[in-house]
Amino acid sequence: MFLRLVTDSFGRRPRRKLLTGAALALGMAVATAALSVALDVGDRLAKEFRSLGANLLVTPQADSLPLEIGGVDYRPVNAGAYLPEADLGKLKTIFWHNNIMGFSPMLEVPVVASAAHDHVPIETPGNFTLIGTWSDKNVLIPDGTTYRTGIAKTNPWWNVDGKWFGDSHQCVLGSAFARRFGLHTGDRLNVMSRTSEGHAVGLSLAIVGVLSTGGPEDNGIVASLGTAQALAEKPGQYRRLYVSALTKPEDAFAKRDPKTFTPKEYDTWFCTPYISSIAFQIQQELPGTDVRVIRRVAEGEGQILTRVQMLLWLVTGMALLAAALAVGASSAASVIERRTEIGLMKALGAGSATVGFLLAAEQLLLAFVGGGTGYALGIILARLLGEKIFGVAPEPTLLVFLVVIGLAAVVTLLGSAIPLRRASLYDPAPILRGE
Amino acid sequence: MTDLVATNRAMFWRIIRRLLSANRGRLFVMLLALGAGAAVTAALLNLQVDAKRRLTTEFRAFGPNVLITSGNTLDSSHSVTLSQDIEKVILQMGLGAHVGPFLYIYGDISSDSSSRVPAVVVGMLPFSFDALEPSWKIEPRLAKVRRGDCMVGAVLASRLHFVGERVVHVSVGSNELDCTANRTLSSGGEEDNQIFIDLSVAQSLAALPNRISLIQLSVPGTLPQVSDSITTLQKRFPDADVRPIRQFSEGEAKIYNKISGLLTATVGIVLLLTALCVMAAMTNVAMERKMDVGLMKAIGGATRRVLRLFLVEAALLGFAGGLIGAAAGIFLSIGLGKAVFGVAARPRLIVYPVAVALTIVVAIFSAFPLRRLATIRPASVFRGEA
Repeated sequence: MFLRLVTDSFGRRPRRKLLTGAALALGMAVATAALSVALDVGDRLAKEFRSLGANLLVTPQADSLPLEIGGVDYRPVNAGAYLPEADLGKLKTIFWHNNIMGFSPMLEVPVVASAAHDHVPIETPGNFTLIGTWSDKNVLIPDGTTYRTGIAKTNPWWNVDGKWFGDSHQCVLGSAFARRFGLHTGDRLNVMSRTSEGHAVGLSLAIVGVLSTGGPEDNGIVASLGTAQALAEKPGQYRRLYVSALTKPEDAFAKRDPKTFTPKEYDTWFCTPYISSIAFQIQQELPGTDVRVIRRVAEGEGQILTRVQMLLWLVTGMALLAAALAVGASSAASVIERRTEIGLMKALGAGSATVGFLLAAEQLLLAFVGGGTGYALGIILARLLGEKIFGVAPEPTLLVFLVVIGLAAVVTLLGSAIPLRRASLYDPAPILRGE
Repeated sequence: MTDLVATNRAMFWRIIRRLLSANRGRLFVMLLALGAGAAVTAALLNLQVDAKRRLTTEFRAFGPNVLITSGNTLDSSHSVTLSQDIEKVILQMGLGAHVGPFLYIYGDISSDSSSRVPAVVVGMLPFSFDALEPSWKIEPRLAKVRRGDCMVGAVLASRLHFVGERVVHVSVGSNELDCTANRTLSSGGEEDNQIFIDLSVAQSLAALPNRISLIQLSVPGTLPQVSDSITTLQKRFPDADVRPIRQFSEGEAKIYNKISGLLTATVGIVLLLTALCVMAAMTNVAMERKMDVGLMKAIGGATRRVLRLFLVEAALLGFAGGLIGAAAGIFLSIGLGKAVFGVAARPRLIVYPVAVALTIVVAIFSAFPLRRLATIRPASVFRGEA
């Protein structure tokens, strides 16, 4: 009988139920979309922030003081310590290896150069810096796989007109350098360095592209790490490593000194992709290094991410509140309309509890159907939004589904509880008389 | 005839008055629904406008985004310098930018506990970094810096083995100077290896009076605005090379676009939803009016006149609710702005008329289910059939 009453109520006035259900579904769709986007936005934006490039800098621990201005090291080749290139694969074996988005080692060599355009020599007086790095490199990971990385991932704002250098005998020329001497892609550049023993190493490189970075590299030459190593006579070594890692904004907990953590806190810290814990893990993998957080990138990112997330959560909170109000209002309306029906049931001997239970069951059924439809609609909406804004749709999560269904149930029940309570206080007789 | 019109009009407004005052509880619910909608709308629209502007300011947490160097420098060791007068001219141009002139020189550093170390000596204005590089850690933050004080990068400080205040000996060529190192700086970049002294001291040390290596600028605004500033600066200083620091200007533009798209989309959704919510509440109330409609039609009210009556009522309610809500929205947006950015959002006047207008539109649309009622025969309403 109970089931029959419920099905009957749906069958008798399908249009009214459809209207309430539609309001519910719409409200829940918006709630789902807002929640999915808000949950997803941290990760997505963190990825976007990687267009700012590396946020960690690895240098040798026992290094002499770098003489850097504007990101270029002006030390002579024989000063300071170096790090082995062969170890770099280990970076992808740390706990947070999936969060390492890219890395590129760098080795700078002071050189003198001369160029040739169509075999006509061009004088290029002055001292220049040749930066050796990876353009696009397959790094061998200790577990047997390879990982593709390079300067395009750690310094995405480096634009090259032409193509990137290959592994050897090729280079890209800084745009200011190229403009100054009228050099173009296809010309040749002879570079010569003076190594520690005083003898010179010379190489002839093909210019395959013109690089513009907006930085001091515009005045220099960029070639493969192998080229720089050959010029510096430092095979298999580099001086600086830039790492771009996906991180979680640092909170008060992450800002504490890891030495003061209890073992449990330490585990939490270690297993959270804070920049400090990633830096610590890299330092463990690459012994003899100093891993420093590039504060300008990391702090700025953290600050902006925190603000945007807070903003979105506030807006999402408003969306949820508005959805709850809308759904509550329409379910209240659907109960108020049925006062006569309630009066009739009570006149026939049904207790307040039975009536309440019946209506609650109806509302819950509606909530599940409406909430489920709303969830499906919301996922589509979230996909559209995600693809439009980030190019990637957020993954549907169980959490959002549960929250949405729960919210739908709570809100419909709450919305109908108040009119139901008032209805249960009335005598059936006046209601049936239409008073 | 005019009497009739006047009487009609008087009656019209009398009915409206009665409709509004008949059920104070219902009036309250309707005003609440409309007001809440208008408040959310006003607050979100305000936030939407303000947050975008605020974000570009937040982006300056990344530090400077424009660099001015000498135009004919190719040898990137910064041996070619600019005149410091440029800085004063920029400050007079009113770009709203933070400006920091720097002079880079190579020198040797030593303290009584360490041997000589070659290092980059940077001359700068004492508090340049506070505004230019808010992310850098400078310890301790001093309120006042004397001319003979210097700041030491974290790596250099550990290389010189010192803690607390120390006298550092700086020599550049044959010129020498002692300064009191009372601040350390950690940036995670090359600055950790450098020592920072007062610009005028550095200029006399390097025998380069009134010369600087470069100027760093932190220009607020979106990418087009920053580009405009760059063009203006380049025109003003044709000899210098003005360029954006691409790492941040490009990255920021991308991120800004994402965030602002996200914000627009979310705010759009919430506004839609708020409208829906208000409509649901209003429709609910409107449906209760079928008795009124029935009665009016029974005593000879034309459908159009009855409808007009309810639409005017809805518009009036929308106006009142919108006004109340917009007023509440001012406070809501101030609170939201404070919560998110720590600074109250500046109220945008255009937002409020828009919010009120939207509320009226929503209220009128919500009254539209009455149209359906108007087609119902009054007799069946009274028999309780509809």
